[in-house]
Formats: sequence, structure tokens, C-alpha cells
Amino acid sequence: MIENKFEAVSELLDGHDIDAELIEDIKQDDKLCDSWSRYHLIGDVMRGETADFIDLDLSDEIASAIAAEPTLLVPQPTPSIKERVQAKVVKLVRPVGQFAIAASAAGLMILGVQQGNVVQDEGQIQPTQVFQPLPLGGVADPVSYNYSAQSIPNQKQSMIDHQQRLQAILQDHKKQIKLNNTINLENQTDASVEQDEVNQ
Amino acid sequence: MAILAFITMPVFAQNQAPAQQNQEPDQEQHQQQNQGLEQPLQADASQPVKIPTALQWVQRLSNSLKILNFDTSFVVVRNNRAEPYRWLHGVDAGKEMEIITLLNGPRKESIRIENVVSYFESDNQPYSVIGPSISGPIPGALWGSLEKLQQTYDFIGVGKSRILGRPAQLIRLESKDKQRFGYWLWLDIQSGLLLKSAIISRDGELLEQVQFTHLSITEQSHDILKQLHSADLPKPVEKSEAKSDFSWAVNWLPQGFELQNANRNRLSNINENVESLLYNDGLVNVSVYVSRSEDAGRAPSVTQTGATVLLSQLRDGYEINVVGKIPANTALTIADSINFN
Repeated sequence: MIENKFEAVSELLDGHDIDAELIEDIKQDDKLCDSWSRYHLIGDVMRGETADFIDLDLSDEIASAIAAEPTLLVPQPTPSIKERVQAKVVKLVRPVGQFAIAASAAGLMILGVQQGNVVQDEGQIQPTQVFQPLPLGGVADPVSYNYSAQSIPNQKQSMIDHQQRLQAILQDHKKQIKLNNTINLENQTDASVEQDEVNQ
Repeated sequence: MAILAFITMPVFAQNQAPAQQNQEPDQEQHQQQNQGLEQPLQADASQPVKIPTALQWVQRLSNSLKILNFDTSFVVVRNNRAEPYRWLHGVDAGKEMEIITLLNGPRKESIRIENVVSYFESDNQPYSVIGPSISGPIPGALWGSLEKLQQTYDFIGVGKSRILGRPAQLIRLESKDKQRFGYWLWLDIQSGLLLKSAIISRDGELLEQVQFTHLSITEQSHDILKQLHSADLPKPVEKSEAKSDFSWAVNWLPQGFELQNANRNRLSNINENVESLLYNDGLVNVSVYVSRSEDAGRAPSVTQTGATVLLSQLRDGYEINVVGKIPANTALTIADSINFN
């Protein structure tokens, strides 16, 4: 049957028997389509009608190139006044979209919390622990010990050390505030009592 | 200023939000703090519509911060740098919960469930402490009793403006002495929540501000907060025993500062032992650090980021550092008052 169809394609090529049903079949069947174009190619070669190179998939390439083409080829119709008004409204409402971004950021945040807990060893939380590796004694002696030498690089190093020191103090200050933020804790109950009294 | 307050206050009274109803004015007690408002207060004493004083505004803020379900974003601006944060707060199943998270750079999140505050930072192990509020860009004093604050600050109602697209009341907390910065708070007239805050120097210079960029108040608390019920947070650490055997003492601080903690620890980044004292006046924290120093002949230095001043001084083989949101002169006077035994 298939053999017959290939023959039929050949016949069609030669212009013998034009059967609507056969043409439909050829269009449906990829193999028959291929043979159709192959037979044409063979014919072209035999007649010496081919170009210098033969690109078998030219049609495919054109099709994919069209698909990849940006679709904004047709000029947009200019918006009517009504549409312009709507566009302005949309602009005003836009911050809601930003909120959605922030919401997903907050979703990530919860993940971070859970991961943080995996690392932490239960019951052994030491807020003073820091991951940053420290130089051990002898490896990086503070240059300030040699300060009396007064060489320029040492002065520079001393300044860097000083900056680091200030930074460390600032960080420790913030941490101490967090650890000792109990100022209002005992007063809070008083405040709520006071509030109740006021309400009565 | 007083006249402005007089004109604007009655307008507010008609717009009172439900939150305010929990806080009927408490006039006998607070009249004296608001010289500018004494007249209208007395005039309205017998009428049903009462005019809130500046102190009542802050009390209302404190209350709103505890009971409302809100979702908000804000930016902290200091030294031309802006840090964006998101802040969720809500009450769910009888538990008050909130999250403040830094949105740029290394991860920094703070979570509070009732009195347990957990901190998640990129350079530290997560830890929890017992505390009434998250220690961060929003002054913790706004949550608590304002009794202590009244000793050192005047509460002044200034007037109205428009912040975050909403009508806002400006309240100024001005230090009674010249040793502290002023805090300006713009409060949402509808909800009582904070819309903007600024730290202003004695010269009127803007040092640091928190500008809210979005605020939504909802009936229900946010889903993210509801998830916190099942979150596995670090156990709160015990507060370390305060040390008192230091060989030095601070002999002067502005009135109202009380010792919060004395600590001896190793600064991990620079591998150096320091002794420190932490003081608080109800709003501002000041730390004094003292350590042995081999440095010689360095002139005293003051560095300032936003409102935070860091003073460094060498004396008698010690380095003294004073750090906090206080004017440089105050820090210098504190450092000078230290003596060594």
C-alpha cells in the first residue's frame, strides 16, 4: 500500500494522475511529503537546475524564523482618550504589584528561618558565637605593637585596625541592646493596668 | 505652634478611629506636659469630644502597635543610604506576633512572638531573648510605658501634614536638657500608627529618618504570621549576670540614663577583651567601652553614622569608647567623666 503511494507520488510528479484524495494523503503523511520534495530535488539535479548548494530544510528554517520574529510588527492603534484615562488609573494602582513582590520576599524569609533552625544546636545557643574565623596568635600580630617604629605602612595598618575596632564596638553595642532590651518589660503590665483604669 | 494645634485638634476628634476608644484622655495626669494645649483641654473637659494631647497620641501609637494587624514597609535613611524593611504585625489566636526583615543585602530578620524576640542574622547564630519589642530601626520605647520618657522628654503636638498619602499628626519628643537628640513622630490620624519618624539634632539638622512606604491594616493577621505558630525558634538565652568589679566608673550621664547591663567580653572581630556598660534613658541606648590599649598619641576621634555617634579617646593606657544616638558633646562629657581606680 505504502509502496503504491510512493509510486503515486512519482506519478503525481510526472503529472499523470491528479487525484484529490491522493494529494490530501500526501499532505497528511510526512514521509510522502519528504518523497515529494526528494523526487523534485532528484529531478532538479538531473536537469542541472540546482543552485550551488542545496539546503533541504530551507522551508523549516523560514518557518522557525517567522516564529522567532517579534510580534510587534503591526503598529499599535493610538489609544483613545478613554483608554488613556484607564492607563493613568492603572499607573496609580501599580504599587499593589510591588506589594506582591514583597510578599514573595517574605515567603523566602520564612524559609530562611527554618533553615536557620537546622543549623542551630538546640539548647546551646550562644549569641556571642560568630562564624567569622579569627587569626590565631602569632599569625597576624597587631601592627600596633610596633607602633613606635612609626613607619608609614604601620600607620596605615594602625588606622585600619582602629576602624575595625570601631566597627566591632558598634556591632557589639547593637548586640548588647538586643540582649538587654528588657527596659519596658516590667513596666508593661503597669501600663496595661493603667489603660484598664482609664477605660472604666 | 500652640495656635496651630488648637485649630487642628478638634478636626481630629471627629475622625477618631476605634483604636483610640481604648484610650480615653487621662487629663489630670498629663495636662502639665502639654502647655500649648491646656486651654482647649480645660474648655472641653465636660464635653463628650475630647482633644488628645501629644502624650495621648504616643500612648495611642503604643496601643495600636500592639493590637492592630498591619503589613507595612519602610525605609531607613541615614547618610544618603536607604535600607528597606518590611514589617508585619498581628494578633492571632491570642498571640501577638511580628516580623521585621531587611530586604536588601545580607539577611537580617527579627521575629517576636509575645515576649520572645528571635534574631536571625547572616553573621551570627540565630538566638532569642526575652523582651517587649524587636530592637531595630523602630525605637522600642514606643511599645512600653512612657512614664520614664516623660522625665527626660517633652511631648509636643505640632500640627498636621500629609505622609504616605494619609493625614498625619506630628508629635515631637524634645529632650528637656541639651544632651539628647529630638525624635519627631508622624502618626496616622486614622489608625494611630507610625508613618514617619526622624531624629533631629539640636541645630535642627535631620540625622536619620524612617519613612514608611506602604501600610495596610487588615481584620485578620497576615498568613505569614499565622505560620509562626508552628515555627521552631531558638530558645531564649538567659540574661548574663551583670558584672560590677570594673576598675573604672562612669561618673556622669545625662539625667534619666539608667544602667541596663555591665558586660565583659571579647570582641570577636578584633580578638580583644573589653568591658562595657549599657545605659538607657527610655528611648536612647548608650554604651561605654573601656579596654587596655598599646596605642599612643592618637587624638580623640568622633565618627557619626546617621544619629549614632562613636567616640574614641585614649587615656592612661586605656581606650575609651562611647557609642549611642547622642550628640558628640554629650559623648565627650561622658568619656571625660570616667575615672580609673
